[in-house]
Amino acid sequence: MALDPLEQAVVAQSLIAAAQEMGVKLIRSAHSPIVREAEDCSAALMTADGNVVAQAELIPMQLGSITHTFRHCAERHDLEALEEGDFFITNDAYLGGQHIQDIFLFSPIFFQGQRIGFSATVVHHIDLGGGAPGLNPNATDIHSEGILFPALKLNRDRDWTRGPWETFVRANVRMPDATLGDIDAQFAANAVGAERLISLAKKYGVSKLAEAMKEMLDYSERRVRNALRSAPDGVYEGEDAIDDDGQGSGPILVKVSVTISGDSMNIDFSGTSPQVKSNMNNPFASTVSSAIAAAKSVLTNPDIPFNDGCSRAITVTAPEGSILNPRYPAPVRARLLPSYRAFDAVMKALSKATPERVIATGTDTTTACCLSWLGPKGYDIYLEIFGGGYGAGPRNDGVDGVDSPLSNCANIPVEATDMDHSFFRCVDYSFVTGSGGRGRRRGGLAFRKVYEILENGVTFATYGDRFKIAADGIFGGEPGSKACNQVIRGEEIIDLPSKCQFTLKKGDRLIVQTAAGGGYGPRQERPNALIARDSEDGLMAAE
Amino acid sequence: MSSVSSRAGVEVGGTFTDLVYVNEGRIVVAKAPSTPTSPDQGALNALIKGNVNLATLDELAHGSTVATNAILERKGARVALIVTEGFRDLLLLQRHQRRSIYDLNYEKPAPVVRRRDTIEVSERVGPTGEIVKDLDEAKAREAIKDLLAERSFDVVAICLLNSFVNPSHEEALVRIVEDTLPGMPTAPSHKVAKEFREYERASTTTLSAYVQPVVSRYLNRFESSLTTKGFSGAFSVMQSNGGRMPAAAMAENAISALFSGPAAGVVGAVRQAARSGFQNLITLDVGGTSTDVCLAPGGQPSLASATEIDGLPVKTPVIDMATVGAGGGSLVWMDDGGMLRVGPESAGANPGPACYGRGGTAPTITDAHVVRGTMQASAFLAGDMHLDAEAARKSFESLAERFGQSLLETADAAIQLAESNIARAIQRISTERGRDPRDYALVAFGGAGPMHAVRVAEEIGLSTVIVPPFAGVLSALGLLVADYARYDALTDRQPLDAEAPNTVRKHLASLTCSIKDHFAEHKLASPKRFSYSLDMRYRGQAFEAPVQIAEQDLAHLNDQGLEDLFRKAHQQLYSFAKPKGEAVEIVAYRAGGTLAPPGFPETPLEYEEVEGTRINIFERGKTSQALLLPRSGLTKNAIVGPILIDDGLATVFTPLGWLARLDPSGNIIIEKEV
Repeated sequence: MALDPLEQAVVAQSLIAAAQEMGVKLIRSAHSPIVREAEDCSAALMTADGNVVAQAELIPMQLGSITHTFRHCAERHDLEALEEGDFFITNDAYLGGQHIQDIFLFSPIFFQGQRIGFSATVVHHIDLGGGAPGLNPNATDIHSEGILFPALKLNRDRDWTRGPWETFVRANVRMPDATLGDIDAQFAANAVGAERLISLAKKYGVSKLAEAMKEMLDYSERRVRNALRSAPDGVYEGEDAIDDDGQGSGPILVKVSVTISGDSMNIDFSGTSPQVKSNMNNPFASTVSSAIAAAKSVLTNPDIPFNDGCSRAITVTAPEGSILNPRYPAPVRARLLPSYRAFDAVMKALSKATPERVIATGTDTTTACCLSWLGPKGYDIYLEIFGGGYGAGPRNDGVDGVDSPLSNCANIPVEATDMDHSFFRCVDYSFVTGSGGRGRRRGGLAFRKVYEILENGVTFATYGDRFKIAADGIFGGEPGSKACNQVIRGEEIIDLPSKCQFTLKKGDRLIVQTAAGGGYGPRQERPNALIARDSEDGLMAAE
Repeated sequence: MSSVSSRAGVEVGGTFTDLVYVNEGRIVVAKAPSTPTSPDQGALNALIKGNVNLATLDELAHGSTVATNAILERKGARVALIVTEGFRDLLLLQRHQRRSIYDLNYEKPAPVVRRRDTIEVSERVGPTGEIVKDLDEAKAREAIKDLLAERSFDVVAICLLNSFVNPSHEEALVRIVEDTLPGMPTAPSHKVAKEFREYERASTTTLSAYVQPVVSRYLNRFESSLTTKGFSGAFSVMQSNGGRMPAAAMAENAISALFSGPAAGVVGAVRQAARSGFQNLITLDVGGTSTDVCLAPGGQPSLASATEIDGLPVKTPVIDMATVGAGGGSLVWMDDGGMLRVGPESAGANPGPACYGRGGTAPTITDAHVVRGTMQASAFLAGDMHLDAEAARKSFESLAERFGQSLLETADAAIQLAESNIARAIQRISTERGRDPRDYALVAFGGAGPMHAVRVAEEIGLSTVIVPPFAGVLSALGLLVADYARYDALTDRQPLDAEAPNTVRKHLASLTCSIKDHFAEHKLASPKRFSYSLDMRYRGQAFEAPVQIAEQDLAHLNDQGLEDLFRKAHQQLYSFAKPKGEAVEIVAYRAGGTLAPPGFPETPLEYEEVEGTRINIFERGKTSQALLLPRSGLTKNAIVGPILIDDGLATVFTPLGWLARLDPSGNIIIEKEV
């Protein structure tokens, strides 16, 4: 049953509003700071056969792959046998997941006995067991990164609320209240999505609603194809690299060949380095997400609702066994590093197709900073995600001190970490002045966070990048400054690598410093007013 | 206060300055053009136009956009900022995330203090108020001296970490600033927003400092010209929380004047609707470019504890409104995916909708009404302005063709889409907050509110719509009927245990005291009504659920009772609550004191014998004949729609299946036929 333009517009807006409401409720009721303050989570509404139609736009990285992840659940379980209260849960990187900290929870939605859709939430959980609290940089396989939920079908009343599965999870994680609280928040958000979808089914009827959801996919596809049609046809290449694998290797290359032909695009990562032993492997779902996010950011209007219709016009391929499509059981925790290089490589390739729409390379790294301590009251884990500086654009300086494009985590207020953690104190959170890559428009500044350690036996675990290979400038712009980690112990300065675990002592000062973004265009063309402004504010010296 | 007989409310809006004057039981309404460069001039003009006798005026209540405009136009004071060592970039780093995730050319909202005007001092207070590092007063004195010598500032803001628990270092810095440059005003964060989260507190503190001198200057100037003209009554100013304060108090807390215009409108609407006996209300204010909606359970507009302006957070209680970009001037368009869209772009004041005949060619919601016949070309703006119906039809031609529909169908669809967007805004403040809108009546105002109200009500399941009189000057009316109000809050983390009720009583008592002192300081009678709420959460959460505590329950409050209240609030907000016995904590304590002004005189009703005219309209896909009447043509006996009521500045639409009547308090009441 076809809808008229009015009904279509009304249903589409209602679905988007419902997904956004799910996202807000998820953040507001979550427990661990990584969700509630940093907002490392996403939410979506899906069709009855599992295509995402509307999402809460929170974390680009988690958005491109929800359907891909769902497919693996649908392959293992009969959708027709689903009942009220059932849900799928997965975090398995080799069954369509990303890294295992991201738990995907899918709840079927029923109306008058008929399945009309799914609500889905993704949350980065603070700790899921594994070889180290919060983050295990020395993992040699996926099993040392935490427990796996391999596309399970469970029932909330039977297995979760005071049930065996809840007991099992409680026993296998280090901060059970936080993990269980965040899973409860996922259930609650899914329930909100269900309620909203059901009220639409009541109003429009099941078949009209299904038709409207289908049209939403077609609509996004049409708009993406329109955008692709306006970009020049051709084959464009780009590459970027991760510093190393954290275990002494050289640069790890990501290569891409982007083919635009008419209203479709293929993004092929042939020639990319093989998978590595450390945790920097990118599950294929993550590769798809990051490649599509780059193409969407450059070529399309931000106003296009991001759903599965968008991905129909864009295909992504990566050789099996490469860092962008690894084989079991490679560890994957730091998957955002190769994800970002895939993003950068696509951006560089597109700079040849649509130079006025791209930006310079930015910090484009997720730096995970994890401090943990086993105190008298059990484990205490702090985890914060850092971006850095954006690459400069044709008309604007790169944003200073902000999360990188594939992510969108907020910082954790220092007054919140002061309240929550007694084993360290943040004593400095500031820009690294002079760090932005110079150019007609300069790159965004890096920042640093400095921690004073208040107990012995505190573990610092991290992964980051751009310690060796800076963010490139573009069209004559200069690179941004590199990142570094340091510990100041009395008179001694200890330089730490980008990926490591290190035991800190009381009195140590830990400095975590991000990289900065690259510049756009030649520095000689920078307007005097901008040079003067930066110099007066002490952000960049006049030269 | 009850002796007050002569009162005036003056509300400065973007285009017009509105006056409501109550003198010897009579109500006078006037409008004068606003004068944006010196808004007080427009206000004085309105007073003159309304023949207000300033010498005998007992009370003048005022609302303006001075604070808001100072921020939006970045024309505030020169502010210096002092922060804890290591945190100079607090205002620039903000919260590290972006508001638009796929925008590669994103820019952060610009703070109102420059980095070069920010200095650090060596000190640190810990999370429970303990001094981790003493304030290095000698070094601070040196740095402050250099800063103040180098450039001239209007005010020095101070925001130190954890000062909300222990303000002693901020207080010491206030003294140092005063020693260094006697008379230099200061704004320490613990005085502005005593709550945790340093960026939000610093943002609020600097914004407050930024608007303070501008607002003070403005109010002083206005008050002195009033005094020159013989005014010696009470001069009060509207706040964004829907309450008033004496102008002198506002000069200390100017940030609370943000968004006072919309707040006054809500208060006016709610009070006027209450005169017909309605308590649970949703207000609907549809203007030219946007629509504001607000929930007022039990006649009290809901408050939010924070808001933002120009992307910058402000921790101050505001009337909790949802806004959508749908108004009379909103553009109707088709996007590149073939979807029908309304807004958020608008035709603005110039050229405005095509039917205004000022050269606009793009279709707007107003044009859609003219096409459908629901807005009559001759009746608009009390006949002051003629509408060009042909231009309206022409503006829809190409759109109708692309959708393969008639002009009427396309115009009708655009209006329905706008109404659906407005209904969603209402759901955001009701359903999404765990409130069932069906328990409410909708009170509509603003230029286009009464036109859309019934259909919006229908969409969310309401059966009553109220259209108050004076719809064009409802904000000015709101000023006169608003309570005097003061809100205060403090942060102190307290686990929900046997000790908790005492802590709650202690903090709420101290807030109550400070509110009473504030009223006394400004020569007001003591507040008559107090409201209390606690921000509570499960241990580990960061967002708190507000839990209301009734004044009379305070004395016998126990921990069990608190837990029950919290679980109920959490369930309502987030659709779940954990089993009893989970660790819960109280984070913040809020109190508000209010004092109601004297009652509003009854407006004598004027009924006219009017025949009305029959006109053709197209609405919801059907052609029908509607009765066109002036407001005074309605009587207390309900008549059945479709009716278009020409209310001077607005048109009230009553569709088929709804009944309209004029009730003794002057409100038009439209009810669903049963």
